[in-house]
Amino acid sequence: MAAFLPRPRRFSTVVHAIPLLLTIACSEASRDSRPSDPASTFRVALLTPGPISDQAWNSGAYQGLMRIRDSLAAAVSHIQTRTPADFEENFRHYGSEGYQLVFGHGFEFQDAAERVAPDFPRTVFITTSGSRVAPNVSPMVFGFEDPSYVAGVLAGSLTRSNVIGAIGGTEIPPVRSSFAAFEAGARAVNARVRVLTSYVGNWEDASAGKEQAIAQIRRGTDFIFQNADAAGLGIFQAARESEGVAVFGANVDQNSVAPDVIIGSVVIDLPHAFLAVARDVKEGRFRPGVLRLGSVTGVTRFVLNPAWRDRVPAGVLARVDSTERRIISGALQPPRIEFVDSVGRLP
Amino acid sequence: MIANLDALLEASVRTATPLALAALGETVVERAGVINIGLEGIILAGAFGALVGASAGAVGGIAAGVLAGVATAAVFAAFALGARADQIIVGTAVTLLATGITGTVYRTAYGATGAALTIPTVAPLPIPVLSDIPLVGRALFAQPAFTYAAYLLVPALWWFLYRTHMGLALRAVGEAPEAARTVGIRERRLRLGAVLFGGMLGGASGASLVLAQSGTFAEGMSAGRGFIAIAIVVLGRWHPVGVGLAAVLFGVASALQFFFQAMGWQLPYQLFLLLPYALTLVLLGVRRGRGAAPAALGQA
Repeated sequence: MAAFLPRPRRFSTVVHAIPLLLTIACSEASRDSRPSDPASTFRVALLTPGPISDQAWNSGAYQGLMRIRDSLAAAVSHIQTRTPADFEENFRHYGSEGYQLVFGHGFEFQDAAERVAPDFPRTVFITTSGSRVAPNVSPMVFGFEDPSYVAGVLAGSLTRSNVIGAIGGTEIPPVRSSFAAFEAGARAVNARVRVLTSYVGNWEDASAGKEQAIAQIRRGTDFIFQNADAAGLGIFQAARESEGVAVFGANVDQNSVAPDVIIGSVVIDLPHAFLAVARDVKEGRFRPGVLRLGSVTGVTRFVLNPAWRDRVPAGVLARVDSTERRIISGALQPPRIEFVDSVGRLP
Repeated sequence: MIANLDALLEASVRTATPLALAALGETVVERAGVINIGLEGIILAGAFGALVGASAGAVGGIAAGVLAGVATAAVFAAFALGARADQIIVGTAVTLLATGITGTVYRTAYGATGAALTIPTVAPLPIPVLSDIPLVGRALFAQPAFTYAAYLLVPALWWFLYRTHMGLALRAVGEAPEAARTVGIRERRLRLGAVLFGGMLGGASGASLVLAQSGTFAEGMSAGRGFIAIAIVVLGRWHPVGVGLAAVLFGVASALQFFFQAMGWQLPYQLFLLLPYALTLVLLGVRRGRGAAPAALGQA
């Protein structure tokens, strides 16, 4: 092996140029609209775990942020976090900038929010699908189980193979809980139904999402409840390429994303929920605690794809409608795998 | 399980295809003594390019994907070869840069909350007779053109590396660049060519994710394939045949993961997800590929 003489490198110029390039490239990720007078402007920030172009969980949150901006004349900012290591730093950034309200959009933000919150007592931290309460940290917990149960009733009624599937991004508690509700809904109408559950392992890999779906379809699955954000786009593609397979959209109304294969969507009205919280914070009415928002409060609902209405037998439609009515009236409570820690509840 | 064996093999080859394309390109790059861990960014750029180009049909998509891959590789080359900066640092920066730029341009062009564009995927091209072979026929010979390109690249690269003067010169540059220079080999030109070739195949790999598989683009959809491809190069001992086989092995492990999850066994899904990675680690440990690495790998 040849020994080389050390060669002078124009190392530092290059290395210093790279972060600059990166800053330029990534500047779109955080849109600060700076108010002229920070003291009087209501400022709201959002951290998302994934790209806001996913047409699902993250898109819904971004739409909520935009609605807060438009309805409450707030100055808003958004950061897409890269790794869990960034969560705390991003929270801290907004806290030190004096933001009054910061959303950490997902179960995964809970721990970081709790660590940062004591340093910024004047900022309200909301963890969507969070799990614990602290003096200025409140989890917003969605009754995602409600519409998931309704989707299960529909799938359980319509399946011909008696095999239905659920595919998630990663196995976070809110997703696991909604899959359990989906299964319970299907079993309530069809004792013979079997539910296969797979996880992609991330929320971006559309290609792997498609393969997970194909593997389930080859096992006879004819209805798939997906909650995999951008990876879910691959699941829709798998359904398109297979005969007689229908998929459920999740988080936002995805019916128009793939109208040919999406029979209905399990929807959280994130903009509605975000605006309600922001309005309370702005008007000084906000009280910390677990914010439970489900079908009873109109925040979660099942939306049947109108293009599919004719293909569903009237009896099944009636069953779906009555299930939803019973949930809204409180007569029926879908099962829920509780992940909110009541120990942290404030007196 | 046996009834699903053909489906399992088909999924294996589908999963292996983008990995094989990217890893074969990286094999040539590393044979020239350059390690480009910007491959992850190149694949992502190729995927985005394919989305943009697909408006002009599948061929337009492939062309644009390859072009985007080459352009991203050129950024790497400018810093790592032109300015002789540390290859690992430049490669990391290129991946971050590609992630940022594809996301930014995607949102600017298609709206902040995305469009979930649907692109018609290229249909598999079954090869007459061969695709009728029981069990493996459809898996191997009823695949999109990307897969056949990967098949042809294995012997083509072997011939190039081991049977041509340029291939010999390229390997010499990867082993002992000083010595190569003394016999008149134009080291930097060869390295530049290798990096751009790697960009071409990395771009094609990304294009295959969009055009042959998911039929759409998602930010970050390369999902670590560039890094896996680099591990596959090591596993395949920097030899086109070995790299091709290692890609297939990884494809099989991934497909097993998909099918195990769909079996409905009550086991933690993380066990299945780590299967391909655990296998790679074990084989890397067992095979001791170190001796096969180009001696000047990663040196500016």
